[in-house]
Amino acid sequence: MIELHLTILAITALIGLTFSYLAITEKDLLKAVAYSAVQAIAYAIIFYLLMAPDIVLAYVAIAVGIYSALLVFIIGKTERYEVV
Amino acid sequence: MISLLWSVTIVSLIVTLIISVYGIAAKPNLVKKLIALTIFGDTANVLVVLLGYRVIYPVKPPILPVWKESALQSFLNTAVDPLPQALVLTAVVIGMAVNILIAFAIIQIYRIYGTLDVREAGRFLPNLLRRGE
Amino acid sequence: MKRLIGLIIILTITLGVAYYVSQNLTPQKSLHPLGKFYLKNSYFGDYSAKSPEAVTSIVWDYRGLDTLFETAVFFIAIIGSLTLFRLSKEQSEEAKQGEPKRELPEPVCAVTKIIVAMILAVSASIALHGQLTPGGGFQGGSALAVAPLLIIAAYSKYALEKNGLDKTRAIIIRSIGLLGIALTALTPLLVKGYFMQNQPIFPGKALGAPLGGSLVYYNLFEYLAVGAGFTAVFLLLSIPEEKFRKFLGVKQ
Repeated sequence: MIELHLTILAITALIGLTFSYLAITEKDLLKAVAYSAVQAIAYAIIFYLLMAPDIVLAYVAIAVGIYSALLVFIIGKTERYEVV
Repeated sequence: MISLLWSVTIVSLIVTLIISVYGIAAKPNLVKKLIALTIFGDTANVLVVLLGYRVIYPVKPPILPVWKESALQSFLNTAVDPLPQALVLTAVVIGMAVNILIAFAIIQIYRIYGTLDVREAGRFLPNLLRRGE
Repeated sequence: MKRLIGLIIILTITLGVAYYVSQNLTPQKSLHPLGKFYLKNSYFGDYSAKSPEAVTSIVWDYRGLDTLFETAVFFIAIIGSLTLFRLSKEQSEEAKQGEPKRELPEPVCAVTKIIVAMILAVSASIALHGQLTPGGGFQGGSALAVAPLLIIAAYSKYALEKNGLDKTRAIIIRSIGLLGIALTALTPLLVKGYFMQNQPIFPGKALGAPLGGSLVYYNLFEYLAVGAGFTAVFLLLSIPEEKFRKFLGVKQ
């Protein structure tokens, strides 16, 4: 039974890795914010599996709600595309 | 099998740390740097919580389910360590407040220099100083 | 395409290194002695915080000073953000001028109203039950900050200001929260206790409801401080950029 727990944990960690890679290599910053939000959801699942319900409650509101809104506000006030 | 799954979790988190350090250092755009910095902080928080986890079954959150002295021993046998969780809990919220400060600074930089690219902003600065602005 | 190749390389390296590391890695099965102390003492024991929630009792009792200074960092970060976007009196009056827009269809606005009411209720419940169930001031406050964001997204910031929640009031609520935390921390000094002491100065139970001593007060005030602090910042952030350009005299 612990194997099931750890399998979900490992898969969500790999999903977090994948989406952070996509977020960092993306040129369109709005898409990068969306990828970063998916990574935040994966981390919220990791916190839940690590038996930290307190952190889940704070992290979901912060990382999926406030942080995405903050970045959308910044991008709206500045530029959308990254020039390399 | 258990140690393989456990090491996949730890190694992928460490690789995420390395990728986000690359993002902070190598990407020229300030908003992209902020995104990478947030990913870095979140991953560090997950690693801290991992320190308190116990690879046993059943495993329970550190909240006393029954308020009786007799239930304490089984609680101690199954609960995870609460200390890393308490430290990470404040770090998540305070990290967000610091991110907001960085975001306001980025907006102000864009208003002054008209660009988010650190290379161009670095080129503008000496000219602005020479003209005494 | 190039990104996908990079991703596949990174995933392969990760799995390979993980396989190599797993050969001599023993996952941790036991509890640290310090963690055991907190779990044992949070409700029973000689050093009790009278709360079955070990995390909240560490946050506001055993490691209370740590959290107090974290709150100071929060205070300074929000003050810094407000200072960077500082407006004079006339400018902040002008920033309030504007009409609430109604671009979204009617059902969306109705649903937003219901969801905002639900968020307010749920966040208060999270914050005030923090000593019994998962939750507390930080979690409830960050959930509370989502409600003004939803209103800003569905209507606009002018709707929020017309209903009485402007930047000044948000800052006042935040100051009340921070002042409450400071006063609760100083209260034990009146009865010859030490700074931020919890038991036995604060009552562990009132009217049959377990309060966890001072934890419930700290949670309530931190809830106000965090929620109102984020609200003030977002009210400033949602001022349109054209108005700021006008204030600063920037042409571009």
